[in-house]
Amino acid sequence: MSLKRRLLMLLVFTLAVALTGVNGVAQGQAVKNPDTLIVQSFGDVATLDPAVAYDTVSSGTFLWNIYETLIFFNGGRTDLYEPMLATEVPNVANGGISADGKTYTFKIRQGVKFHDGSVMTTDDVRYSLMRFMLLDADGGPSWILLASILGFDVQSTRDDNGKLLPDIWDRVNQAIQVKGNSVVITLKDPYGPFLNIMASWSMVVSKRFVVKNGGWDGAKTNVAQYNNPPKPEDATLFDKSDGTGPFKLDSWDHATGNVTLTRFDGYWRAPAKLSRIVIQKVEEFGPRRLALQNGDADIIDVSRADQPAVTGISGVRIVDDLAQLSTNNALFMNLNVNAEGNPDIGTGKLDGNGIPPNFFSDVHVRRAFAHLFDRQAFIDQALRGKGRIANGPIPFGMLGYNPRGKWYEVSKDKAIAEFKEAWGGQVWNNGFKFSVLYNSGNVTRQTEAQMVKEAAESLNPKFKIDTRGVTWSSILGLMNQKKLPMFIIGWAADYADPDNFAVPFMHSTGTYPGRQSYKNPEADRLIEQAGKETDAKKREALYFRIQEIAYQDVPTIYTAYPTAFVVMRSWVKGWYHNPMFFQTWQDAYRLSKGQ
Amino acid sequence: MTTFVARRLLLLPLVAFGVTILIFALLQFLTPAQRAALFVTDPRQLSQIDAIIRKYGLDKPVHVQYWTWLKQLAQGDLGWSQTARMPTSTALATFFPATLELTIYIFIPVVLIGLWLGTKAAVRKDQFVDHFSRFFAISLRGLPSFVWGLIVLMVFYGWLNWFPPGRLSLDADLFVKSPEFHRYTRLMTVDALLNGQPWIFVDALRHIVGPAMTLVLVEMALIVRITRSSMLEVLRQDYVRTARAKGLAEPVVINRHARKNALIPVVTLTSLIFVGLLGGVVLAETIFNYPGIGKWGAEAAVQLDIPGVTGFGMFIALVTVVGNLAADILYAAIDPRIRLQ
Repeated sequence: MSLKRRLLMLLVFTLAVALTGVNGVAQGQAVKNPDTLIVQSFGDVATLDPAVAYDTVSSGTFLWNIYETLIFFNGGRTDLYEPMLATEVPNVANGGISADGKTYTFKIRQGVKFHDGSVMTTDDVRYSLMRFMLLDADGGPSWILLASILGFDVQSTRDDNGKLLPDIWDRVNQAIQVKGNSVVITLKDPYGPFLNIMASWSMVVSKRFVVKNGGWDGAKTNVAQYNNPPKPEDATLFDKSDGTGPFKLDSWDHATGNVTLTRFDGYWRAPAKLSRIVIQKVEEFGPRRLALQNGDADIIDVSRADQPAVTGISGVRIVDDLAQLSTNNALFMNLNVNAEGNPDIGTGKLDGNGIPPNFFSDVHVRRAFAHLFDRQAFIDQALRGKGRIANGPIPFGMLGYNPRGKWYEVSKDKAIAEFKEAWGGQVWNNGFKFSVLYNSGNVTRQTEAQMVKEAAESLNPKFKIDTRGVTWSSILGLMNQKKLPMFIIGWAADYADPDNFAVPFMHSTGTYPGRQSYKNPEADRLIEQAGKETDAKKREALYFRIQEIAYQDVPTIYTAYPTAFVVMRSWVKGWYHNPMFFQTWQDAYRLSKGQ
Repeated sequence: MTTFVARRLLLLPLVAFGVTILIFALLQFLTPAQRAALFVTDPRQLSQIDAIIRKYGLDKPVHVQYWTWLKQLAQGDLGWSQTARMPTSTALATFFPATLELTIYIFIPVVLIGLWLGTKAAVRKDQFVDHFSRFFAISLRGLPSFVWGLIVLMVFYGWLNWFPPGRLSLDADLFVKSPEFHRYTRLMTVDALLNGQPWIFVDALRHIVGPAMTLVLVEMALIVRITRSSMLEVLRQDYVRTARAKGLAEPVVINRHARKNALIPVVTLTSLIFVGLLGGVVLAETIFNYPGIGKWGAEAAVQLDIPGVTGFGMFIALVTVVGNLAADILYAAIDPRIRLQ
């Protein structure tokens, strides 16, 4: 949406608030739909198959509501667990984790029923884990278990030509075994984050139900047929489900994008307090805001920019400053830009009207930009002050975050000194011109790009930076071709472990370094070592060293660890926050409505 | 007449074919990774872009992709629309009835009130009605429809809570999804009556009023202005003077002699409005969260959902051809001098 339209909408909306403020549902008024939780979100579910879903809306809908995991997070903690479908959290003391850190034994809870009334068995658990790994849809989450169980080098079940690896079923089958009432998982290498991964990604589905609906039966002979389903709907659990969670799927209305869950009365704990959850897709903020005010929605999605429009509505509660496991809006520099037909590096020479493709390969250039970017000003301006200054890939609140980690102080003089040193003084004398790109519509990133531009251009009249907002698809296309000289993007956790941040930001095979031509063998080695280390103290020391490299090399300028906020009717009770939740209502079991 | 209709209908596949070629030609401007954006919505999926490109054949030359698509089409398969989360043909069948229903509720008041007000304005030129209708039309057209939409939403939902957004309220939606309710036409108000459920009818109507009111206000203004100017021209014609001289009653002169002849440009405009509405009214559907075809079509276009956009394009081509055909037939019905050949 164009800025003008947004502004106009905001204006009309401010008017709406003024007009209707006095008419909002007054506090103390009867709770609307007392046993139904209504959530309005702007995204919609892509698939309900737990082995395929890899976006926050989809996973957030079914995780812990329809499907449950073997272990679960303890309250708001991301490093402490409680048993869920397992009867205890494995550790070395209780024999659940072997001394070498490779074997995990999960004692499976008995008598747990699936929504269809059948009883969950250890075989269902084993099957679910195997199915998660072997379905492996492109763009899906299967790599998380593949890499953690079969080893870092196994990111997919297929070779480079897209053919199923002939021994993959055997390896998975070998790694996950049933022993009595337990499921035993043997990792190739010890992997520190494994329990954390299991807390989010070990969802148990009913094998009987999947097979009955034409899905994979677990056999080796036909695994190729079910691997990488060609269309989302080809995955058996795309729009049907049979889990053990407190709610069962009632309907997913594709036309409206709405999902309805109803209480499962045969649940293994006491049944949930809510009888129904309705998740409605409402793209525009306006109707969401009015539905909240009228009590037609209990929880709505609100962006930081729209926060003032929901502040002060009577009967509405805003909880702010919630920890989030994300390193967002980092500023990436590309050390070797693909110059082919690339307007974003101008002439391709250091002549004041462009930059050479390897412009950012000079560390002085990168350090100069690091000295230029005022992170606190960015947080104040773009995040309404809600966020913490970042100093590396690993976010605040996670093991490996170094509160004393060094970063570049904001200083024009130091930036000038670095620029004067870069490229033998040519940068300072000749000037440069290039573009900073971000996905259009993202106001936060737009502000950030503008700040980089203003800071650089104020140093030297020969410095020119264009800020360019392009569609998400263009960002993706250009990034993949390594054509972006400088770009802004972020990362949110798959699982609460520093490995999930160190790899995408700093490992040469990670998501971003490959697209910014950055490789530091020392960083690669430390990251691999840290992933295998099980001693928390030693791991922390390793991540501190990785932070040190991120500071020295500075291929990326880390800006902020933003905090989140939620907006709900005050009558929603039992809500709490865990940084690993994708959605506000993710542990809906504990929620209820009442005055 | 029959040959005329048949010939026009024969054009249909050609137009549809042209539309699809155009869409595929436009795709040439995009890189495979750009087209993969539809499937990679989260940075966490970035590492799998290449696999996704391979999986969906996005790196193949555009004519190969077109051929694959044509082969699919020959089997009646329009492809999978990722934005609708369903096959494209199902998406069309799901979203179109909602838009059709909305269109009907917009179209009838637009035409009836538009014609009435336009005629009145012409007959009472420079009197109060004329000034009022001019002011009314200009001020309505002067603001974009999304502003009207927000105002209507704000007043009638936020303030009065009469006309909520969406298509049905929670209880009605649950009932409609239950096995007790049969969907005969997929037009919610009609189905509600056929099922003997007046409360569903009322509920569905409450949800239609918001977007309908918004668009009636905007679209009616055009009809009023065109009817007025066309009427003014006709009223100056000799045969109108003759009719009056014969001593015919004024309503007969206006309604029978003048208006019928003034209708030709109005019919043209009306058919355009009708086709435009059927193609989906993106802004009104989006603001009122109404699950119509325009909202989906726009989303499919923005996200580069190729099967979705292609299917939507073909469908719009069909609606346009049929709409124009209907207008041509109406011309002949109104004006006997026009013969269809």
